[in-house]
Amino acid sequence: MSGDPLGRVDVTGLTWRPYGRPQPILRDLDLRIEPGERVLLAGPSGSGKSTLLRGLAGLLLTADAGELSGSVRVDGEDPQARAGLVGLVLQDPGAGVVAASLGRDVAFGLENLGMPPEQMPEPVAAALRAVRLDPSRGFEPTAPTSALSGGELQRLALAGALAMAPRVLLLDEPTAMLDAESAGVVRAVVEEAARERRLTLVVVEHRLGPWLPLVDRLVVIGADGGIVADGAPADVVDEHGNSLAAQGIWVPGIPDPEPLDIVLAPKGRAVEHGAPVSEARGVSVRHTSRSMSGRERVVTAVRDADLTIEAGSAVALVGPSGSGKSSLLAALGGLTAPAAGRVELAGAPAGMPPHRLSSPELARRVAWVPQWSSAALVTRTVGEEVLVTARATGVDDELARERAEVLLERLGLAGLEARDPRLLSGGEQRRLAVAAAVVHGPALVLADEPTVGQDRRTWAAVMGVLEAARREGVGLVVTTHDDGVMARADEIVRMRAGRIVGRGRDGEVVVPTAAGGSDTTRPDAEPPTRRALAAYAGPLSLLLASLLVLPLPALLDSWRQSLVVLAVEVVLGAVALVAPGRGPVVPGRWRALAIRLGWAALAIAGVAWSTWLVGGRNTEVALSAAVRVLTLLVPSAVLMPFVDPDELGDHLAQRVRLPARPVVAFSAALQRFQAFGELWDQLVLARRVRGVGAGRSVVARMKEVGAVALGLLVGVFSQASTLALAMDARGFAGAYRRTWAGPATWRLADTLVVLGGLVPLAAALLAHSLFLE
Amino acid sequence: MTNTTTTPGTSGRLAGAGRYVLATRPLGRWRTVDLLAAALLGVAFGVVYWAFGLVYSGPAAALEAIYPPAQGLVFGPWLLAGVVGGLVIRRPGAALFAEMTAASVSALIGTKWGATTLVAGFLQGIGAELGFALFRYAAFGLLAAIVAGALSTPFETIYEWYMYWTDWDLVQKLVYGVCFAISGAVLAGGLGFALTRALASAGALNAFPPGQEARDRLPG
Repeated sequence: MSGDPLGRVDVTGLTWRPYGRPQPILRDLDLRIEPGERVLLAGPSGSGKSTLLRGLAGLLLTADAGELSGSVRVDGEDPQARAGLVGLVLQDPGAGVVAASLGRDVAFGLENLGMPPEQMPEPVAAALRAVRLDPSRGFEPTAPTSALSGGELQRLALAGALAMAPRVLLLDEPTAMLDAESAGVVRAVVEEAARERRLTLVVVEHRLGPWLPLVDRLVVIGADGGIVADGAPADVVDEHGNSLAAQGIWVPGIPDPEPLDIVLAPKGRAVEHGAPVSEARGVSVRHTSRSMSGRERVVTAVRDADLTIEAGSAVALVGPSGSGKSSLLAALGGLTAPAAGRVELAGAPAGMPPHRLSSPELARRVAWVPQWSSAALVTRTVGEEVLVTARATGVDDELARERAEVLLERLGLAGLEARDPRLLSGGEQRRLAVAAAVVHGPALVLADEPTVGQDRRTWAAVMGVLEAARREGVGLVVTTHDDGVMARADEIVRMRAGRIVGRGRDGEVVVPTAAGGSDTTRPDAEPPTRRALAAYAGPLSLLLASLLVLPLPALLDSWRQSLVVLAVEVVLGAVALVAPGRGPVVPGRWRALAIRLGWAALAIAGVAWSTWLVGGRNTEVALSAAVRVLTLLVPSAVLMPFVDPDELGDHLAQRVRLPARPVVAFSAALQRFQAFGELWDQLVLARRVRGVGAGRSVVARMKEVGAVALGLLVGVFSQASTLALAMDARGFAGAYRRTWAGPATWRLADTLVVLGGLVPLAAALLAHSLFLE
Repeated sequence: MTNTTTTPGTSGRLAGAGRYVLATRPLGRWRTVDLLAAALLGVAFGVVYWAFGLVYSGPAAALEAIYPPAQGLVFGPWLLAGVVGGLVIRRPGAALFAEMTAASVSALIGTKWGATTLVAGFLQGIGAELGFALFRYAAFGLLAAIVAGALSTPFETIYEWYMYWTDWDLVQKLVYGVCFAISGAVLAGGLGFALTRALASAGALNAFPPGQEARDRLPG
């Protein structure tokens, strides 16, 4: 066996039918891939390409149940025989991220293999170098994963797979969500890695052009789940090119699709052709990302932008990731409030900034198609979805129905009126979102990357709707990387680092930028070094010290005793927050304390009031209760902000010896807290723009919380499935005994914190015996 | 993976378990997707609790001002993570894991009760586990949800008597306990059951037993 090239894949009679589907997705598939061969897998949407990849990785049963027959063998063994034998990179950048830093994320697979931590830095560094995320290019292993762009996240996922020394590498539409430049880097990195490590490569893509020169073989899967064509790329394209294009695949040599021609029943122009629909003057937009403990990071996403959108014209906002396109888009439509400058929407009441408009008022003028179309869906059926905004903004019902019918029919959604929009495919959801945006005839339509990742048919449909809207006199703003979209725009506005740097028909007119400003919108990092004393302690000691207050209610009988303990706690708290040394201090510790004490004050007021009311209106008892509860809450308010969620998992597993897999799941979930918060905001914003946002009343807002919570949870479960796939592909399924790349040391500071936590208890005992009351 | 295998998947049915689809056996062998669902559910509920907290503080304060023991009636939603976790994943420990994760998020963000939220999460999660255990982890209908929701409260109630409501007299403490239990049964049990059904019909739970039940309920 030694000396034989490795990475041969044998698929025999593979059939897979998940429960709930009448027909199998994969039907009696036979496929043989030689070691080191590079295969491009193509097929229409829904044909089972991704499913086949999962089958090749041996992961069909990870998040599904069904009937499976046939076999898949890699070098004669089961693909899951050794963790990491088959590497898998998924479509959604960031879907497989499990750790807070680059190096830690790459080490995930090695941890699952049980590699001793001392041996990890070498393969991790090698993998990061292979994907060009190494220090020589400005990426330290300690860099946060949250700061990476889409292309960088895909490369990180690739590094995670490469670190495990795979023989076969599977890539599921790795560049579908990326702009051309990032996609190019990903492709180059994949090619280099495959060549240097002699990997067998299987790539699924629906844009064939850029990948054809890199592969030896093109395999086409038909809509029924069987192989339709298989051979040298050039031959297959010659023979099947037209039929592939007809099924939606982007085939080189076949001309780009034309936007569908859609004629809508006229609704009457809100704004005269050529008149401004939205004007932004000196607009700056800031994003505040708040970490769990309250620490904030402010990024200026857009600086001093001037832009006018005219009715009947289409503007394309282009620029690299992070240049502020989506933020400017949101500001133009009154979706977010600008930090500086002014935005004026045509037809809004004079002097009213658009971000203050009520939901129906905003919906009447603006429509927004976010990049993740599923976030924009607000109703239960397709039929309702296209009509909900028209109803909320008072458009004549018959006119709205007529327009909706035409749109649904032209977009291929005609038979689906009763279907739940969340059950549609990605392309169908995108088409539905775009249709629902134009039915009520707003004056301004904002679309965030409307064509990214879509096949030819959805591209033509989406562009058709946008063109129809433009003909109607809508002002259109689109952020895009797509050449086809840019070619059809009336004006191209180029952005870089938050500033507009080019305008005009081709974006060629250079706009002089004011001096200063760095090339990216990443926050300037002058890492502050001075920390509070409590910051030197690990999460376990901080939690323990915060919980040592639990015996206090049994010991404190009067307000005098409580006051003594409180005084002790205040002194200890002040000591914990002292930050000795020189230099800039890590900001936010007082703010974090103030926020928590604010909440605590509410709790205390509640307890004091209820004790007073119910305890016979005795002021002394109520006061005593208030001070006692305060002693329970002060340690948490001081210490909890210093608990680092990223370290928590390591300490729980290694010090407390909690079972490994649940702890890892817990840590990976905590990583997503911020993303869930942002998803929540997006869902609320989408409802506002569609005209169904809640007003002031408590009942309405509670109902909105319920509806948005449901939307959030739906998104959460789909993330669970994808993440499970990514984690199992890196050996997590069997990782009951795993190692940990991060140490969990118990330092002197930890002992001191716990001792400090015992002092109030001692004081309580002392006070109890002294003040015998 | 040779020969035809009908995967145990989510279609295992124990004799006598009736109409419920159960989790793959053995119950202690959690799949990765089970672990992640419980953890992510907990974090998501952490976000929901925070958003909900902002909205409900008005009515809760009103109740508290008028007759404090009655505020137990509005505390039910904080128990949702555990009940929904148990209903979706259907393994011992799911309710506890989900509820403790949600409590961790609350503690880390910095809500009212600080680190002691973790104790509350533990007591509430254990209570929910007890509820599901009474049905031997074989029934997950509305009744089981209500029982789990109601049982999420007694341990927490006793803890709160000790920590915060120390000076109330016995009657008021009992009223609070009953109000909290009712809230748990209705707003955590009933609402949690409805939420699980809604998630299943939205296609979100295809990897879990409720998703299979939803598929079996659909005609054809």
